[in-house]
Amino acid sequence: MIFVGLLAVLLIKEATVSPSQFAQTTLIGLTNGAVYALIALGYTLVYGILELINFAHGDVFMLGGMFAITIGTHVFGLHHGQGPVTVLIVFATLILTMLACGSINATIEFIAYRPLRGAPRLAPLITAIGVSFIIQDVGLAWKGPNYVTAPDVFPHSNVFSVGGVDYQWNHLIVVIITVPVLLALLWLVQRTRQGKAMRATAQDKDAAAIMGINVNRTISFTFLIAGALAGAAGTLYSLWATTVRFDQGFQLGLIAFTAAVIGGIGNLPGAVLGAVTIGLIQSWNEGLPWHMPGSDWTQSLVFSILILILVFRPEGLLGEKTPEGG
Amino acid sequence: MTDTATDGNLLVAEDVRKEFGGLIAVNNVSFTVPRGRVISLIGPNGAGKTTFFNMLTGVYKPTAGSITLLGEDVTGKPPHAITARGIGRTFQNIRLFQNMSAIENVMVGMHTRMKANLFNSIIRTPFVKREEAAARARALDLLQEVGLRRKAHEAAKNLPYGEQRKLEVARALATEPQLLLLDEPTAGMNPQESAEFTQFVGHHLRDERKLTVLMIEHDMRVVMGVSDRVSVLDYGEKIAEGSPREVQRNERVIEAYLGKAAVEDMKRQGLS
Amino acid sequence: MGHTAEPVDLQGRLSARWHELPELQRTGVVIALELVLAGLLLFIDKALGFGVGAVVAVYWIYRLPPVPWRLAAQAVLVALFLALGPRSFGILLAAAFAVFWIPERRRSLVVPAVAIGAAIFYPFYQGHMFTIPVFGSWPDVATGVVMLVFVMMAIGLNIVVGYAGLLDLGYVAFYATGAYTAAFFTSQQFAGQKCPTPGVSVTNCTVAVVPRHKFDFGAIGLTPGTGGIHISVWLLLLLSGVITAVFGIVIGLPTLRLRGDYLAIVTLGFGEILPQIARNGDNLFGTGVNLTNGPNGITPLDSIGFGNRLSDATGGVLPSNFLTCCKASHFGHQIQSTDIFFWVAIVLLLITVFCSLRLQYSRLGRAWIAIREDETAAAAMGIPLMRTKTWAYASGAFFGGVAGAYYAVFRSATFPGDFFFNISVFILCMVILGGMGNIWGVIIGAAFLAYLNQEGLANTGSWLNTNLSANSFNLLVAGIFLALLLWLLVRAREQMMRYVLVGLIVVDLVLFVGLRIIHLPIDVPLYASGIYGLIILIVMLLRPEGLIPSRRRAAELHEGVHDEPLYDAVHAGAEA
Repeated sequence: MIFVGLLAVLLIKEATVSPSQFAQTTLIGLTNGAVYALIALGYTLVYGILELINFAHGDVFMLGGMFAITIGTHVFGLHHGQGPVTVLIVFATLILTMLACGSINATIEFIAYRPLRGAPRLAPLITAIGVSFIIQDVGLAWKGPNYVTAPDVFPHSNVFSVGGVDYQWNHLIVVIITVPVLLALLWLVQRTRQGKAMRATAQDKDAAAIMGINVNRTISFTFLIAGALAGAAGTLYSLWATTVRFDQGFQLGLIAFTAAVIGGIGNLPGAVLGAVTIGLIQSWNEGLPWHMPGSDWTQSLVFSILILILVFRPEGLLGEKTPEGG
Repeated sequence: MTDTATDGNLLVAEDVRKEFGGLIAVNNVSFTVPRGRVISLIGPNGAGKTTFFNMLTGVYKPTAGSITLLGEDVTGKPPHAITARGIGRTFQNIRLFQNMSAIENVMVGMHTRMKANLFNSIIRTPFVKREEAAARARALDLLQEVGLRRKAHEAAKNLPYGEQRKLEVARALATEPQLLLLDEPTAGMNPQESAEFTQFVGHHLRDERKLTVLMIEHDMRVVMGVSDRVSVLDYGEKIAEGSPREVQRNERVIEAYLGKAAVEDMKRQGLS
Repeated sequence: MGHTAEPVDLQGRLSARWHELPELQRTGVVIALELVLAGLLLFIDKALGFGVGAVVAVYWIYRLPPVPWRLAAQAVLVALFLALGPRSFGILLAAAFAVFWIPERRRSLVVPAVAIGAAIFYPFYQGHMFTIPVFGSWPDVATGVVMLVFVMMAIGLNIVVGYAGLLDLGYVAFYATGAYTAAFFTSQQFAGQKCPTPGVSVTNCTVAVVPRHKFDFGAIGLTPGTGGIHISVWLLLLLSGVITAVFGIVIGLPTLRLRGDYLAIVTLGFGEILPQIARNGDNLFGTGVNLTNGPNGITPLDSIGFGNRLSDATGGVLPSNFLTCCKASHFGHQIQSTDIFFWVAIVLLLITVFCSLRLQYSRLGRAWIAIREDETAAAAMGIPLMRTKTWAYASGAFFGGVAGAYYAVFRSATFPGDFFFNISVFILCMVILGGMGNIWGVIIGAAFLAYLNQEGLANTGSWLNTNLSANSFNLLVAGIFLALLLWLLVRAREQMMRYVLVGLIVVDLVLFVGLRIIHLPIDVPLYASGIYGLIILIVMLLRPEGLIPSRRRAAELHEGVHDEPLYDAVHAGAEA
């Protein structure tokens, strides 16, 4: 709590000293947060239902980015300056990537995690690390060790420009696409039968099975959705940041995981809140010219936050929905 | 360790309470365990007996109240500290170290009473060698006491159910307790085994070894057969306490187990 | 198999027909097929063909009745290789056969003794060994040193993961701490600067600046007046271990009470933060303090040696300075400084193994296993959880620190680029492959993976690229493999055989298909991480107890443990 207070003080000071830069970095942070939210939700969904930290999730996100770029450019011929047809292409790419990543994720669950359902809890965790490495090298083999560039199709013109603060379209687009996806997920979890099955299985697998829920299918479905979210994140990220690399998945995935933990792992709105928080912190750290360590230290900063949260408040900001750890 | 200070009571629990969120599992229970006796704790399922046990052994921290062992306040101390101070226990669902052998299980129980540390274990000083040999011998003796010496090197999970229960007792005895807590020790035993066990508790543990025993039990034959005193919990509260005979006739106890209708029945038949 | 009257499917029919043949004929057919396989492999690579042939031969030799057939067959095989094939292989075979003739009781003493002896003399015969199929020549002594260092680290991690069951994903932090501690105390990192002319600042100094801090305690080969802290390397190894152990305790205190998967993540966090501190340490948190010299690393480090006095006392056997030693030459091999490093590494490893074994069978070791099996019950039996886990952590950290320090001294440098998360997983992979908890398995797994990482993968890559060109003939051969292997699979009755055959089929399929998609040359070492990930996956799915399991662990993994950590029991809902 003291930490938060201190942070608030520093932020206010910064806001008053250079408000435009503060606002700028804040807005960028929100865009970061949107992408992280999509990934974090995937982590949280899977953890809620299997109590498994799916290390490979971030790498599925990376594959999604590569897949999106490949499909977009080679199949649809996406390139800069295409005009309104861009929207259609982006949309198609998004859907296809979500499908692909969803299937990949569900396949991973089937091959690597399902056989270990009865094993001690650490076994699937170790396996997940193995899968993560495998996927990273698949990305490496597919696209090589260097950055893969995506065509820069999001417009960079300003949505608005107020007092030295420019908010560009490409940032807004990311948020615009993320919000309906999040809402769709919410609707799915709260209002559909499958969603109810997911929540029941997350609460108590055995009871759910007794109630007639096909636990295996529900788990596969959860992985499918999580993968789809990662695919969406991958598509958006690749088009927004315009570069993807095989090892990004792991780093960004861990940041997103931290977001999920901050919000309370297993807790869906928490994941979004945590993601926005982390996105802001990252952006403030890298963008603001104050006594923060700077972009070299972003990783350490995020991990320190993760460690602090796990040690002092493992249930996160909003608390866990599952009965463990808090 | 003066008996006068503790009034001959090994364990004194005062107004112990445990809340889980909004649920009150144990509601201001006061409880004493006199030295050298066998006390049974009974009550319907969900009455809070194991929760109470868990507080006595440090697995749960009481929300309120105090627990005094041998005159020392042990409220909220961690499990290993309480074991070191003289409480040993068995578990409701057997929690042996399944993949360790019987003798290894018992030797783990001796952990607090041994002194070898990291450094002298690596060098294996004469002290450590002697300690290990003595521990091994003592473990075999304990296994002998419960009749498992032949199976000393058998993996715990390969033992039949009844023998696993005995092994748990041997392991608990290895901690050299003053007070032994047994959580439903005869669950799953057949009548013959239960009778043997009753004998074991009364004759061997209490009379020969001079141990104090606190048992959670559902099998009334065992309870009535060996207890010096019986306490009854229902919905987290102590509703009766006394000799087995007294408790058997207590209205509230009958009501708790069999319901109000049964009490009415009995009254009508003039049995009360 | 085959009880139904009319097996309908092809496999069923073949199987039934097969089982009608008498045993001897069946064995004959299988042997013949296997020899054909070996023969075909000869076309791809001679060494591989002979290797597979030898394996087949040894396998069937052990099916023969011991005396006189087995002995005779073994003698024949050895003679064959001594006369025709690589002689060193013949000698190796003879030694291996001899070991298995020793009765089981004595074997547990003889095997380690022979292994240690073989290791000590390795620098002498390394150059004369046969070429291993696919992997090429035997690792050179420098690689050997690296292998030994990693085995030490794996044994350290084994104490944490294998004995106590704590999943540590940040072991690289200990390795880094050890290495940097070594660097701090044997280099000029902390020399500082000042101008010899009093009162003049460094920037205005007209003469050469001199070091501000000088501390020398037993350092070897140091020019007097060199700045920085320098202490004897032997002291340093101990110091590194201790400092790393303390560091382990410090980070363990808040984190070891977390449950398994959270602990894993937290250790991962530390495993990432520490290398980042190393990388950015030339400007620590933006304050301008140079702790670690940043991306350039710290180099050079002082040389290691026994000093002049000890050297004279032993008549030069113990060199005073490893780097300038050695004019002696034995058995036709000129002793080099790398050899000395190798021998010292063996000694360090032996100490590590000794400590680990002693701990395993002690009161503390039992406590670790109890915690791993059932934390709540362990606590109820009087085992102080936090303290006991911390001891495991500290021990693992100690050995990791010593290993890291020695490695830094060996290379006379430490760079932040050496430390990254993948290494933690790499070492974990060693422990998993070898068999969590079983020290011999861990040694073998670690040595093998360390070898792969240093030389093995590169050698495999070049072998693949030369011998498996997209030559249609080779592809055809690969296709025939597949058919043969499938045929054999129908027959193989033993588990191990089936694993091997499945493995071969997978590899064959991958090559067959892969060669169509991927273009040679493949840079195999580039995919090292993926390969280790694949190893982890395969081991966890098929044989989680590892190559040489601790019999306990095998049971746990297949049947589960009482997994609920005490932390959860305390915080959980009512258990009335």
